[in-house]
Amino acid sequence: MRAPRSGVRLFAIAAVLAIVATACGSDSGDGSNASGDGACTPSDTPVLTFAAYSTPREVYGKIISAFQSKWKEEHDGQQVIFQESYGGSTTQAQNIVNGFEADIVALSLAPDVDYIVDAGLITHDWTTAPDEGMVSTSVVVLDVREGNPKGFQDFDDIAASGVGVLTPDPASSGGARWNIVSIYGAAMHGYAGVAEGDEAGAQSLLTGVFKNVVALDKSARDSIKNFEAGNGDVAITYENEVLTAREAGLPDEAVYPPSSVLIANPAAIVDVNVDKHCVRDVAESFVDYLHTDEAKEYYRTVGFLRPTDIAAAAAGDEEMGFPPIEDLWAVEDFGGWDALDEKLFSDAGIFTQAFADAS
Amino acid sequence: MASAAHTVQRKRVLRAPTATRLRHWTLRGAAITYLVAMIVVPVAAIISKGFAGGLDTFREAMASAGAWEAIRLTLVTSALAAITNAIFGTMLAYVLVRYRFRGRGLLSAIVDLPFAIPTLVTGVMLVAIYGPNTPIGKAFGSVGIQLMFSQLAVLLALCVVTLPFVVRTVQPVLLELDTAEEEAAQVLGASAWKTFRAVVMPAIRPAIAAGALLAFARGLGEFGSIVFVSGNIEGRTKTAPYFIFQLTNQFKPDQAAAVATLLFAISFALVLVTSRLVRTERKEAKA
Repeated sequence: MRAPRSGVRLFAIAAVLAIVATACGSDSGDGSNASGDGACTPSDTPVLTFAAYSTPREVYGKIISAFQSKWKEEHDGQQVIFQESYGGSTTQAQNIVNGFEADIVALSLAPDVDYIVDAGLITHDWTTAPDEGMVSTSVVVLDVREGNPKGFQDFDDIAASGVGVLTPDPASSGGARWNIVSIYGAAMHGYAGVAEGDEAGAQSLLTGVFKNVVALDKSARDSIKNFEAGNGDVAITYENEVLTAREAGLPDEAVYPPSSVLIANPAAIVDVNVDKHCVRDVAESFVDYLHTDEAKEYYRTVGFLRPTDIAAAAAGDEEMGFPPIEDLWAVEDFGGWDALDEKLFSDAGIFTQAFADAS
Repeated sequence: MASAAHTVQRKRVLRAPTATRLRHWTLRGAAITYLVAMIVVPVAAIISKGFAGGLDTFREAMASAGAWEAIRLTLVTSALAAITNAIFGTMLAYVLVRYRFRGRGLLSAIVDLPFAIPTLVTGVMLVAIYGPNTPIGKAFGSVGIQLMFSQLAVLLALCVVTLPFVVRTVQPVLLELDTAEEEAAQVLGASAWKTFRAVVMPAIRPAIAAGALLAFARGLGEFGSIVFVSGNIEGRTKTAPYFIFQLTNQFKPDQAAAVATLLFAISFALVLVTSRLVRTERKEAKA
């Protein structure tokens, strides 16, 4: 019973060391220096908590350090500390509503920002910022196997029988809704073998595509990973995803349907949190910075994202390998997200019905 | 009649060697094949993927933002969760075995819940109860303790997820333990605490260590609940499994494999160390 080197004791020692290590190492203040409402004294080293969706992690890594040096130069060497968090766009929005005190959000679609607005945490009208609050864009593409062996051109090709389609689940991935909106809009615009304005035709195109779905992944990135693993013939995804995969050395190829929605990614400050942390000035400067040419160059070259101006986005970018898009349109063409949510995703919505018919 | 029975028995005896050998061979083969297919091959694949390019892949992975901090956070919170559950898990097991009270069966069933609840749900649940917008979260917030979206949140989630391990390893040992020794100690005037320390503890110590180790290993890999509770801030609340997930998302499966290898190397080393310690202790206890 006298066991001097017992497992339990070893564990206890390890634990004490661990506690000491954390106590010394981390958690050196959380940068919150709230002093009631209204006036507050900004910290000497402001701390910004930045929550973004997963994909543009590398872009923001670059943009943040560029902003930090710029701010340092213009503010007597003041250092801005960033706490960065990357995750699924909708998960980030939910976490913030649940009390994750992010000062700035950069999400993949407007409804996720509106979710935070509805919770009363973003109180300003973020759409009045430059570029309607959007910082980057992309287009919907078909990610196909090397050389496009099945010769896909447009959505009607992937609705044909015997095709295996990957697309994220619209129920779990907010971003998945871009794909559905794009298929619907392309059909309504008279593409993909559907007559212009033929809503029933659009619905049956959606049914055809979703009949072929072999995996509803939880995010767009998961769809590509799944596709990479050999699943399916085509993944419906975004241009920047495919180009990022190609950059990483994967053999993916993008096929551009002639008609696509302009995928627009918003960024905004979270009013309640910036005021609580007394960082409004620096947070607003950061969001302003996201709209500068300097930041746009990072979105373009690091993130493979298109510009926010729709005409410029449609024109393409030869240097970056972005081809022109014949018919590029914004969600506003269909009355914006609220109208589209009602039209497509409500209980009697076109997608809801198409999905029920497909399964 | 008797001779007939005799022949049957003889036949069985004569047939036995080949049949038994075949049966043993099949059984052993099936068991080993299963283990190899399910664990050995995938683990080997991960290791070879992560270290095909030597240590460079690992170095590249660790060069990215918040990499070391993520691993440290995971090691520390897993260790703390293991210790917390070693203490409270032992208490729970003791209460469940030594006391008879109404609702004991229910309590015992509740202990297993963390195994049954999807960990994602555990995360959502924790935020719903301890989130900064909830009464409990606000009360802690007013004294400067942030329960959710902090390092503490990671620890809490791991404590929930790993709670059953120590209880379930200690409980059977306690059940087999003869209460006569405890009674004798108490009759001789030892306090309840002294009895526990001197009589019960030595017997259950290996079980506590084994349970705590399982809890630690399980904590290293926890992902589902963390996504919702930690806030995933790089360098602060981002954990190692989340870091591995990010690497796979950046199309760097080899780097993800390298970091994963580090995690289960630590886990495996601890299993070996502890099993050796437990064995020596058992021998000493018998001596």
